Amino acid sequence: MIRLLVQELKFRRGAILGWGLGLCFFPLMYIGIYPSVAEEMAGLADLEIYQAMGMNLGTFADWVASILVIFLPLVAAIYAIINGTGTLAGEEEDGRLEMLVTLPLPRWQILTAKALAFSISSAVIYLIVSLVSWGVFKAIKDQIETSLTGQDLFLGVMAGWPLVFAMGMLAMFLAAFCSRRRIASMIAAAILVVSYFGSNLAGSTPVLEPFEPFFLFTYLDSSGSAITTGQAAEDVLVLLGIGLVSFILAVIFFQRRKLTVGAWPWQRGQN
Amino acid sequence: MKNIVIETQDLTVYYGKFRGILDVNLVVEKGEVFGFLGPNGAGKTTTQRVLLDVFPPTRGKATVFGKDCQREGVAIRKHIGYLPGELALYANMRARDFFEMFEYLRKDKKSNGYWRELAERLDLDTSRKISQFSRGNKQKVGVVAAFMNRADLLILDEPTGGLDPLVQKAVLELVRETKAEGRTVFFSSHILSEVQAVCDRVGIIRDGQLVATRRVEDIFAQRMNRLTLIFEGSPPSEAFQMKGVTELRQGKRSLTLEVKENLPAVLAAAAQHQVMDIETHNVSLEEIFLAYYTGDEGGSYD
Repeated sequence: MIRLLVQELKFRRGAILGWGLGLCFFPLMYIGIYPSVAEEMAGLADLEIYQAMGMNLGTFADWVASILVIFLPLVAAIYAIINGTGTLAGEEEDGRLEMLVTLPLPRWQILTAKALAFSISSAVIYLIVSLVSWGVFKAIKDQIETSLTGQDLFLGVMAGWPLVFAMGMLAMFLAAFCSRRRIASMIAAAILVVSYFGSNLAGSTPVLEPFEPFFLFTYLDSSGSAITTGQAAEDVLVLLGIGLVSFILAVIFFQRRKLTVGAWPWQRGQN
Repeated sequence: MKNIVIETQDLTVYYGKFRGILDVNLVVEKGEVFGFLGPNGAGKTTTQRVLLDVFPPTRGKATVFGKDCQREGVAIRKHIGYLPGELALYANMRARDFFEMFEYLRKDKKSNGYWRELAERLDLDTSRKISQFSRGNKQKVGVVAAFMNRADLLILDEPTGGLDPLVQKAVLELVRETKAEGRTVFFSSHILSEVQAVCDRVGIIRDGQLVATRRVEDIFAQRMNRLTLIFEGSPPSEAFQMKGVTELRQGKRSLTLEVKENLPAVLAAAAQHQVMDIETHNVSLEEIFLAYYTGDEGGSYD
């Protein structure tokens, strides 16, 4: 399995570099410009439209959390969906998975290697962005008033990774469950968007409150305290738990999947 | 005792309500080249995929090297080289990286860089990216990947598809060498001349069912003659009702017969009637297989 993991990581080298550098746009742009917009942003702190999007712009910590803690996982989750569905259903549809499963490797190992490769690659992407955030913060620190340290910022940004992990595993499970990659991607994207807006709107819309526990973004604190004190441990555990349960379900469904046929689970044993 | 490499018992696969294969009973022995023939959609690829545990059968059982294909798939696949009919490769890799990856993933000491020799024999430039290859060169990559671990069993789904005649010849030579080394080849093809060239036995599958399994030499030994007898008057068809003779067509003054055996008796019967002319021709291998493919064999070829 280690050999396959090494290969899967090699396949993701380009993605790690591309996504890692691409997502550095967030810290470079949004942390970099903060000294010039700080006063203006403080004035927008109470606008409901920003709150509905999970944004609070009052302090530097709020600003960073609103951009890097919330938007970064949202965009990185797109990588998770592409990777999670592509690595199973995508490779199945284009025929490459058939070559792989006809090698002397058990299916659970194939899936575990792919899941680990995704987890490591997404963590490395996050690491790149977190390090760049730290660097940009160092560069502007003298121009702003904040008690934050570079380490706070680094850890605060990294703390968004469990949500990306959960989303990636969920996408992988959907790819093992659904008949086609297109369907799995659509469902995963819908979960992402509904989670994002649902979680943010639940705070201001009582009708959505009962559904709040079902939204992934509920478990990601987007206030300034996410940077100053970090994410709540129980929220991180919930996200990691969702990821692990999704992975186990993915293994179960992948083990029983009639590869190359593209059937739903209930069609797989039919006479 | 026969050394059986592949054995299927009532092997059946359904895709939802659609039939894949139905009650396929097949035995392939060690050291033989077994040709698996049938029209498109007959169930050849489905059978191969069950043997490789790409998906399980709906009913029945398949064993390779005496092991259950589903329960002991990993152990079985250590000894199999596979060339899929719908070949999909990692387009962004160079061919040599692809072979090294396969060698690495198989943890196979037997291959030990054998792919280099194979690539040279097939005139494949392994320094180029697979995405830059023509269809034929991609097929060469698949062929090398299938042969590179010197597997005890090779499952090849139309291995010469897209290859030029010279490379086709080289691939068939590889199949012969595999057989000469006592290894087994399960070979599906549409090209009857190559089946004739390398296969010991053939199984013919139609509409998901195995309709015949024969030795290639037996098929040739029993190749039929087709005779058209022209009579002066109305043809006496009852005179030719004998074992091994099938009446194909009766004209106003002619009778066309397919003669599998008893040719002297047919000629003797013809001599007793006023035969004006006799036309003969051999039934080709293609015609025999096409009869199986279309279901017109009428029992004459079994």
